[in-house]
Amino acid sequence: MADPASTHSGTLSADSGRTSRPPSATTAPPMLAALEVHRTYRFGQVEVPVLRGASISIAQGEWVAILGQSGSGKSTLMHLLGGLDRPDEGRGTIEFEGRAVNLGAGRSLDRYRNRDVGFVFQFYHLLPELSVLENACLPGLVGGWFGHARAAAARRRAEELLDQAGLSHRLRHRPAELSGGERQRVAIVRALVNGPRVLLADEPTGNLDATTGASILDLIAAQHAQGLTVAMVTHDATVAARAHRVVHLRDGQVVEG
Amino acid sequence: MYAALLSNRYLTSRVIPMIAVGAVALCVALVIIVVSVMSGFLDMLKASGRTLIGDVIVSSGVGGIPHYDEWLADLRALPEVEEATPVIDTLGLLRMPYPSGPSKEIAPVQVWAIEPASFARVTAYGEKVWWRPPTDDAARDAMLPEDPRLRMDGSILRDGLTLTQASTGRPGIVLGMHVSIGNARQSNGSYLPRFGWFMPGEEVTLTVVPVSESGKISEPRDATFPIVNEVFSGVYDVDKSRIFIPLAQAQQLLRLDAAPLYDTTAEPDGEGNLPLLGTTPARVTKVLIRAKPGVDALAARDAVEASWDAFVAKAARRSDRLGRPPERVSILTWEQQLRDLIGPVEKEREMMRILFSIIHIVCAGLILSIFWSIVIEKTRDIGILRSVGASRLGILWIFLRYGLAIGVVGSLAGVGIAWIVVDNINLIHEAIGRDAPRAAWITTCALSVLSLVMALHSLAGRGQLLPGLLWTIASVTLGVITLALLGHRGTLIWDPSVYYFSRIPSQVDWFNAAITVGGGIVFSVIGAAIPAAKAADVDPVEALRYG
Repeated sequence: MADPASTHSGTLSADSGRTSRPPSATTAPPMLAALEVHRTYRFGQVEVPVLRGASISIAQGEWVAILGQSGSGKSTLMHLLGGLDRPDEGRGTIEFEGRAVNLGAGRSLDRYRNRDVGFVFQFYHLLPELSVLENACLPGLVGGWFGHARAAAARRRAEELLDQAGLSHRLRHRPAELSGGERQRVAIVRALVNGPRVLLADEPTGNLDATTGASILDLIAAQHAQGLTVAMVTHDATVAARAHRVVHLRDGQVVEG
Repeated sequence: MYAALLSNRYLTSRVIPMIAVGAVALCVALVIIVVSVMSGFLDMLKASGRTLIGDVIVSSGVGGIPHYDEWLADLRALPEVEEATPVIDTLGLLRMPYPSGPSKEIAPVQVWAIEPASFARVTAYGEKVWWRPPTDDAARDAMLPEDPRLRMDGSILRDGLTLTQASTGRPGIVLGMHVSIGNARQSNGSYLPRFGWFMPGEEVTLTVVPVSESGKISEPRDATFPIVNEVFSGVYDVDKSRIFIPLAQAQQLLRLDAAPLYDTTAEPDGEGNLPLLGTTPARVTKVLIRAKPGVDALAARDAVEASWDAFVAKAARRSDRLGRPPERVSILTWEQQLRDLIGPVEKEREMMRILFSIIHIVCAGLILSIFWSIVIEKTRDIGILRSVGASRLGILWIFLRYGLAIGVVGSLAGVGIAWIVVDNINLIHEAIGRDAPRAAWITTCALSVLSLVMALHSLAGRGQLLPGLLWTIASVTLGVITLALLGHRGTLIWDPSVYYFSRIPSQVDWFNAAITVGGGIVFSVIGAAIPAAKAADVDPVEALRYG
């Protein structure tokens, strides 16, 4: 679990331009790291190795963009970093603050996803039956049978973040009633509502026009400026340019620069 | 908390779960209605049986029970016995007062000859005598204006209770309510005279056939009685065939009264008289016994059996008098007496309960298939929930809770439907028994036409196939209902001659309802469990990628 003192709890206000690299980004111990990770998909008798010993270290406060061709394994690496998936048996480790998260029980991974990281997806992935506010505070409702106080706190924080994201007039609306940019803003608020240490964004602008995409990146940049660590997957070099470190995924391995 | 939020939202924002709720409600309602009616039927059967025959019934052969008055005294002295009454049970033919003219209708009847006072203390005879003045204003207000009881004084009730026509001093007869054709049952359960025949005051002639102890049939004998009242037990078979006359008159008619016995093998004396052997005692064929309050019928029967054995032994020592009681008589509790009737109904009820409970499995299957499709449709949502930290157990619980909610809502709705139907089952039955009212088919016809217009508007006007199809189905269904209502001519479903009782039992069997509701909920959760487990097993990565 994240140290409460260092849990990200910044505000959501759009910023513009490239964010500055934190002075200690390259020298500090990694907050999140993939070490020699292999991941192979099996389709019947056919084995498709996607990651072949990929390694990446992301320091606290860093914004890393992972660039790669379609099918290069960017999303797979993101899922592994976020604890949604595990590396092949005994072939690689995902470390968060020096702790191997992929070796823990399912319950500890659930907790990791709920408290330590926040996901933003290309296709927003909001629940259509829930309102904007309910979608935004969903992580606060997860993680305990008797979490009424926690849920109330999540609701307050979601309202606050939605207000900062310019969506205070949309709280009762359903996702189907929102534009793509608004949906992605809700998805970002949802990712931040539990105060995670790391934001994992998988093609966050991939489904948006350039202007809307830029505003979404501004939102992420604003969070990053307040100390949030960001790992972002993209195939768009202009989007990657907003990060202060860019890595490439080639042949199942991470290549710096 | 998210499980509650999502299962509630899934339940209220979609049509398919409402279909599942409706299916559970109908299944539960069906089981409760069927078993409640059968349980009510059984309860009525038992209650009516007991109130008509007391707790213990002693029956002898055609020879009857001699010196029964001595045994009755013994019985009344037992601590288990409240009261005992003698009865003669035989068959007869009743010449009815109708139709007008010399040729009259003859009705086969079961004759019960009774001592009215003690009989009323053993059975509920006093409460079952029908024609009596209203006891208070409330009873008076509940009667139809043409009800003859509104114009009666207490004499008709007294005559019925004493089996005597007080005005003439003649012994009277009381008929079961359906023995004559003259009583028409009304929707409020009362009776009005029909075809101009009101039985009290009319005369009937009863013909019976005496049977000797050896089983020889004598010449039929008849007697004319004034009808002093009628009795309504609620058991159609009884009301259709049973009549009551005073015991003394029956004993005379059937040669069961006390009479001198002559030695027919000896020579007559100078005056032509045969030597007198003694007096044969009066006899009865049944003794009905009411147990003291709180005494079990079986315990009372055991006491009666012991008393009978003592009575037989005592009679055997009395060689100075004629008439020895038979060593064996049938001594049964009311439940044993009615076993032939109650047993099959009990078995039938259990069979129905089991057969209809299979519907629960159908319910579970329906929920399983609906939930399976929901889980497939919601695969991406499951991936999203896993990405924000939901555990597999959490996902499982969403769908189990969803199934639980459907089970609870559906089962409670089913209880509501069943309660409304059972409570009004006689009104519904009476409505089915009448021709369909004009307003009903005009309404369904209008709705059918309206649905057709909506269908055409959807199909031709807006080009929407699904609403068009749904409106078409509604229009056709309402059209069929209209035709059915037009062609409906009153149908008698609950035939009292088949089902014994004149009214359909209308009490919900709440114990059975509780079991059925429990079953509905459990099977709904079972039906949801398999899709829920599938949902919990969904790989979040695949769900997000392909869901």
